[in-house]
Amino acid sequence: MNHLPIVVICTSLIGAFASPVLGKGRPWLPGILARIIVPANAVLLGILLAHVGDVGVFHYFVGGWAPPWGIALNVDYLSLYMAMAIHVISTIILVFARGDLGHEVRLDGHRWYYTLFLLLVAAMTALAFSNDFFNIFVFTEVATIAACALIAIKAYRECVEASFKYLILSTVGSGFILLALALLYMVTGHFNLSLVAGEMAAAAEAYPMNIMVALVLLIVGFGVKSAMFPLHVWLPDAHSSAPSPSSAILSGLVVKIYAVVLIRVILTVFGRGVLSTAPIAEMLLLLSSAAIIGGSLFALAQRDIKRLLAYSTVAQIGYIYLGISLLSESGTMGGLVHIFNHALMKTLLFLAAGAMIHQTGLRDITKLSGIAKKMPITMGVFSIGALSMVGIPGFNGFISKMYLATGAFEAGKPAFIIVILLSSLLNGLYYLPIVVRAFLGAPDEGEVFTRDRIPLSMTIPLVALGLACIYFGLIPGPLLELVRRAAEHLILL
Amino acid sequence: MNDFVLQTVTQILMPFIQVYGIFVVLNGHLSPGGGFAGGTILGASIILYALTVDVKAAEGIYPDERAEMVESASVLVFVLLGLISLMMGRNFLTNIGIFPSPETGTLLTGGFIMPVTLAIGAKVASTVITLFTHLFEEKKS
Repeated sequence: MNHLPIVVICTSLIGAFASPVLGKGRPWLPGILARIIVPANAVLLGILLAHVGDVGVFHYFVGGWAPPWGIALNVDYLSLYMAMAIHVISTIILVFARGDLGHEVRLDGHRWYYTLFLLLVAAMTALAFSNDFFNIFVFTEVATIAACALIAIKAYRECVEASFKYLILSTVGSGFILLALALLYMVTGHFNLSLVAGEMAAAAEAYPMNIMVALVLLIVGFGVKSAMFPLHVWLPDAHSSAPSPSSAILSGLVVKIYAVVLIRVILTVFGRGVLSTAPIAEMLLLLSSAAIIGGSLFALAQRDIKRLLAYSTVAQIGYIYLGISLLSESGTMGGLVHIFNHALMKTLLFLAAGAMIHQTGLRDITKLSGIAKKMPITMGVFSIGALSMVGIPGFNGFISKMYLATGAFEAGKPAFIIVILLSSLLNGLYYLPIVVRAFLGAPDEGEVFTRDRIPLSMTIPLVALGLACIYFGLIPGPLLELVRRAAEHLILL
Repeated sequence: MNDFVLQTVTQILMPFIQVYGIFVVLNGHLSPGGGFAGGTILGASIILYALTVDVKAAEGIYPDERAEMVESASVLVFVLLGLISLMMGRNFLTNIGIFPSPETGTLLTGGFIMPVTLAIGAKVASTVITLFTHLFEEKKS
């Protein structure tokens, strides 16, 4: 039982590196392998969650070496929550990829696609569990490079350009992270998160400059990778030009895992003591408000549907940072629950957009008028995602926004409720016209339909995601219980 | 590059470079060096051959398909070695008590460290060569 976290990471890794070997001459095999490994791991994580419910949170020591010598994995509710989210969403994306990948990636590239996908899943899971700074750095790099390659795999000019931009900016971010780790190691003498946290009070007393610079470098480094507002410039190109399954995993999961690592590091390693010496939380609040408003305004100006969704991600990352930096229990819960809720919604929207592009070849939202008559299911679930984004009660987006608003009250900062309301309005302004035009608009005569209908392997994930959005909007109890435990762990320290 | 002296010296040096590379890989756990350093030396010997004698022939020595297989297999070896200890009921990548380790200073000492170093050496060597050939092809086109 205790070995399950490492088993989950290792099976993904084995799948990733078995794909190019097994897929040689059998391009269909790696996809099947991935579609077996990831759901199986989701089940294993469910068993692990039940086990942790019985015995409590624990640390796993790789190689049997306890810290400070060995690498430790931290099996707590936050890491389990993220790992579950990663595996559940990835499973759905993988099923969708079965139908969609064929027309986006050349057949001989499929085995590399699944290699990169599984590598990305393994690296993200390891990031969720890791309790060691250097391990975090290594898996940050693995995830970044796998993500860049997932964008560039289409080998179109704009994909390569977007991927290169992402790679350069991410590498600068990695450099910042490495520098921050060096500064922390200098003054604490440890890489293990718990041990660094133990040394933090004394180190902050003796070397306040080192600690503050390290904190800022970590925020900027992970901020670039998680597209925190002024550092988001790479995101729209990267997420809109990638193949649709890649866009879904990049927007739904990859940017958030960096946010979670940053949150864990800020709250559990640096802690309230260091945060109170400088207005870090206030700055994060302002930046995330700017992200929420700015991202939505940029999205309003887009005509390409995938670019619109990408800018919307910038705004939604703002929600997550807003919730966390309110430093109240409901706010933290709102930020954390939005990670999963937004992953559901944005995956749904990107996959629905992918299905539309798959069927019609159109990306321009003004040309999608009347498309609901040709693709009622796709457009129906797209509407669920859009309503969820706006935060209509009964959909899961409402739950996150309710907790964020409550958190703002609890923290004594009701001004941020206006930000949340304003952004809901803006979300409505750019999502609802697409829905209205699709259902009520007259079908354009000049439509180009290259295929008559999408395969079942694309419809099933879309419907599943749509139902999940409604389910977690109506019955959020179990999810909120898990998130409450994860938030308690963060807030107590 | 059509230079007789360069080509002859390269061809004479190649086995020595490679033997040295293998030595550094095998003694990774006993002396300075290791999988990464030794793998780079091994890869460099093929790159040297490609630069001075013939790129096509160098690709014949170490074709792309083989590089793919070696790169994947070496990672799998590392992970599977770690999983052996898991199957024996110990933590992932546990070495002491699972893998035999004869007296200190001999080649087989250190349990699974030497097989792991070998895998890393193979991986690094073939990655260095693949990187070179891909960059070279790009320049050509």
